[in-house]
Amino acid sequence: MSEAATARAGTLTEGSPYGIPSRKLAIWLFIIADAATFGAILFAYGYLRLANPDWTKPFAVSPTIVNGIVMTVVLLTSSLTMVAALAAAQSGRTSTGIRWLGVTMLLGTVFATLHVREGFAMIAAGWRLFRNPMGGSPLFGATFFGITGLHLLHVVCGVIVIGVITLGFRRGRFGAGHVETTALYWHFVDLVWMFVFPLVYLMNVR
Amino acid sequence: MTAIAARRHPTMKLYVVVWIGLILIVGLEVLLTYERLPAGTLLACLLALALVEAALAVMYFMHLKYERPALFWSLIPYLLFALVLMDHFWPDALRLMRQRLHGP
Repeated sequence: MSEAATARAGTLTEGSPYGIPSRKLAIWLFIIADAATFGAILFAYGYLRLANPDWTKPFAVSPTIVNGIVMTVVLLTSSLTMVAALAAAQSGRTSTGIRWLGVTMLLGTVFATLHVREGFAMIAAGWRLFRNPMGGSPLFGATFFGITGLHLLHVVCGVIVIGVITLGFRRGRFGAGHVETTALYWHFVDLVWMFVFPLVYLMNVR
Repeated sequence: MTAIAARRHPTMKLYVVVWIGLILIVGLEVLLTYERLPAGTLLACLLALALVEAALAVMYFMHLKYERPALFWSLIPYLLFALVLMDHFWPDALRLMRQRLHGP
């Protein structure tokens, strides 16, 4: 296509009503859809939790709640390092941006490790998807492992994506826009945990 | 132009303030848990605090406050509407209580 034809085509193309790139709109739409998914699961859990008179409350302050608080602080801090990475990327400070992305990945990995460790401790204590070693509702295991497992899957995917974006950003294949899209996803993962921690952990304290 | 640019790029100081606010809300949630409130009251309090946290994260960390209002109005009300519908339809799932699995 000639330059003149390209220019004509450009005049016929409307700008985005939102003033954002299409990939950013796409990640927002994904986030809204995923939020509805988590919303459905958490609503279901909430009703099960309140309606079951023999609902088990297995969590003691130590180690589970202390572990949960540490996990929450780690994930919230990873959101802060992610905004630092984005700010650096948008201002052209590539090496600083890469460093903050690395810190975010590290914090995400720490969160996932703590999560997996706790899951294994519960399995060792006899918890299964439909088995409650404390004798209460067997639905506790299904909701706990289901909700936290789905969130953990999001965290692991996020860490992998941040790694891929970091490599591409360092090589110049990806720009600040890609970092921003990844950051939106990562903040969403953090946001979901803000509901999972109080509803699944704190509501089940002994 | 400068004002618009400033609006579009919040400072790190603001991000740190939001982060501290989020940590404080988590602390408040933990304190409320040990107040031994009835389950329904505790759930309502924790949900309200989680919504405040979510709003802070969406508006500042996810920069929705700094986007065009059209983006906010195209996304958030519809999500809230879907969640409210779920809240109204999920009670029907209470039938499950009569069908629940029994422990070993």
